[in-house]
Amino acid sequence: MRSRRMLIVLAAIVMLVSGAAPAYAASAPYESYNYNYWRDAVPSPEAYMPSRSITGETLGIGNFLEPSDMYAAANGNVYVLDRGNNRIVVMDSGWKLKNVIAGFDNNGKQDGFNKPEGMFVADDGTLYIADTENKRVVILHSDGQLAGIVEKPKSDILASNFEFVPLKLTVDRAKRVYVVTRGVFEGIVQFDSDGTFIGFVGTNKVQPNAADYAWRLYSTKAQRAKMVLFIPTEFSNVDIDSKGFVYATNIDPGSDTPVKRISPSGDDVLKRYGYFPVKGDIRYRQMGNDGGPSQLVDVKVREAGMYSVLDSFRSRIFTYDEEGNLLYEFGGKGNQLGTFKLPVAIEAIGERVAVLDQGRGRIVEFNPTAFGSAVNKAVALHNDGQDQAAVEVWQQVLKLNSNYDIAYIGIGKSYLMEKRNKEAMTYFKLGLDRKDYSVAYKRYRREVIKEHFGQTMTVILVIALASWAAWVVVRYRRRRRLISHEG
Amino acid sequence: MKVEWLRFPLHVIVRPFDGFWDMKYEKKGKGLVALLILVLLIVAVIIQKQFSGFLVNFNDPRYLNSIDEFKYILLPFILWCLGNWSVTTLLDGEGRLKEIMITTAYALTPLVLVYYPTTLVSNFITNEESSFFYLLNSFAGLWFIWLLFVGMMTVHQYTATKTIVTMLLTIVVMAIIVFLGMLVFSLIQQIIGFIYSIYYELIFRN
Repeated sequence: MRSRRMLIVLAAIVMLVSGAAPAYAASAPYESYNYNYWRDAVPSPEAYMPSRSITGETLGIGNFLEPSDMYAAANGNVYVLDRGNNRIVVMDSGWKLKNVIAGFDNNGKQDGFNKPEGMFVADDGTLYIADTENKRVVILHSDGQLAGIVEKPKSDILASNFEFVPLKLTVDRAKRVYVVTRGVFEGIVQFDSDGTFIGFVGTNKVQPNAADYAWRLYSTKAQRAKMVLFIPTEFSNVDIDSKGFVYATNIDPGSDTPVKRISPSGDDVLKRYGYFPVKGDIRYRQMGNDGGPSQLVDVKVREAGMYSVLDSFRSRIFTYDEEGNLLYEFGGKGNQLGTFKLPVAIEAIGERVAVLDQGRGRIVEFNPTAFGSAVNKAVALHNDGQDQAAVEVWQQVLKLNSNYDIAYIGIGKSYLMEKRNKEAMTYFKLGLDRKDYSVAYKRYRREVIKEHFGQTMTVILVIALASWAAWVVVRYRRRRRLISHEG
Repeated sequence: MKVEWLRFPLHVIVRPFDGFWDMKYEKKGKGLVALLILVLLIVAVIIQKQFSGFLVNFNDPRYLNSIDEFKYILLPFILWCLGNWSVTTLLDGEGRLKEIMITTAYALTPLVLVYYPTTLVSNFITNEESSFFYLLNSFAGLWFIWLLFVGMMTVHQYTATKTIVTMLLTIVVMAIIVFLGMLVFSLIQQIIGFIYSIYYELIFRN
């Protein structure tokens, strides 16, 4: 009884003390995890915590109505494409309202947008808007003056009933425009800087499974005509990295490659060296309310080759490094700050991450925790080739999360480079990285043999001599026995 | 246990036709040795799962269970012997159950001989050399199947084709035995559940 009372007092003290702690230390409304080598979702410290939400109301311009896209430009401004209100809201990086672009001057005539879905802002501030229902791409100068309009492309390779309904877009350094278009399965539509159609890049491949194939084989023509067509899925979003490679996502439930990095020649060159495919969740229920793979609706290339993808189905954000390792996961479905109803866009502002929640018409800003920023820092150092400096940061990460395989492998790689093979082996073993372990072991073994060459050779020689002597003795005895038997 | 008894399986695995003949008609196969081989194999597999080198050991240490190995080796062994005996009794086989058991156990000898050294060596190899590990292990497996084939042929005095047919039939019979076993278990479960619910019905009624 007494111990119980003590416990209550203790609990009260703990509650009082923790109440005084800053709100920042509060637990997140979601549970972060990472996948280990055996594909189990292992709880992990939160890498990002929600810090604030921004709505149209707080900006004083009336609520966002089904906002569809967001872009954080290099000049520090954040642009929100407010689809329902047909306007673009411009903020600075501190979420202060700068101005609202509701229309533009089109050759002396006032023109506006009609349910625009996608937006891109070039480094010089030029805006590219996928003006979806007007079936065009509008290009505006940073001051809001019209710079050009890309209309329905004309080409021999396009069908006569081709409809140009732009959804999402991105622009490379040469000002080529890549547009994801509704109902187009050939790939991403590519325009050059003056708006002429170049062609398609990157196609999603269709892989009918064996059952579908057999079913088709034994059905009549009439049945086949009624069947679902095996057409490639459309892309859901695009982004571009500093080297001009287009990152694209698609929602294909059967695919292990919903994220693609498309090279200028149209090949998928995304590195997938991690333990499992780059597809968001890898362990999920197959059936039921919350079952099925992640539906990736946006991708954001971040610093140091990292990229984040947004799963609108379970409202989670997955961040990968350049090699395709899952670094961290955060976010979730719900009503609290940090959880979403229908997230549609993700952006990175420096180290911060912002997610646009279309369902609730607001932006949620996330700040990295000690764990998150340590991971970001280590990845950046590794990407920079400063593996030795990264070791220290990785050690820090391991203090916060000792289940972090990537940290073990990172340290191992650095030690391997420094020819500390034995230590590298230990770390690779902890990170369950067999490929690198083998390399480290091979070097270590050679080292040991070299060091002990004299002893090794002596032992081998002695064993060889001894076995030869034993063999001679045995043969001699046997022969003698045979002779004595005969004699 | 004589040294000769232990030496006999080593003779059988290199001269199977001769060896299995001697086993059947000269009564050289011993039940005790067969048991020893089985135990050694189970231990070999346990050791291999636990101690083979990191590069070739893909087992999740959290789920390793030595008792399971009995399930995966002893149970199939007994099933095989029973299944084979059931089939060959109907198909004019000359082998008795004890002979079948000893023959099968002796055929497992190569696995015992190969698994221990490969497990040891696997701790000192790199990825490129790991194919030798897999090669040796699969070689032992093929050797075992060859010995089983010759053993069954000799024990039952069958032709080669009939041996293959009975071996395949044995696998079918094994599946049937497992199926029947599960059926019996689930029936027993149902009966127990039935009695339980009657009991609860009675006590809750006062």
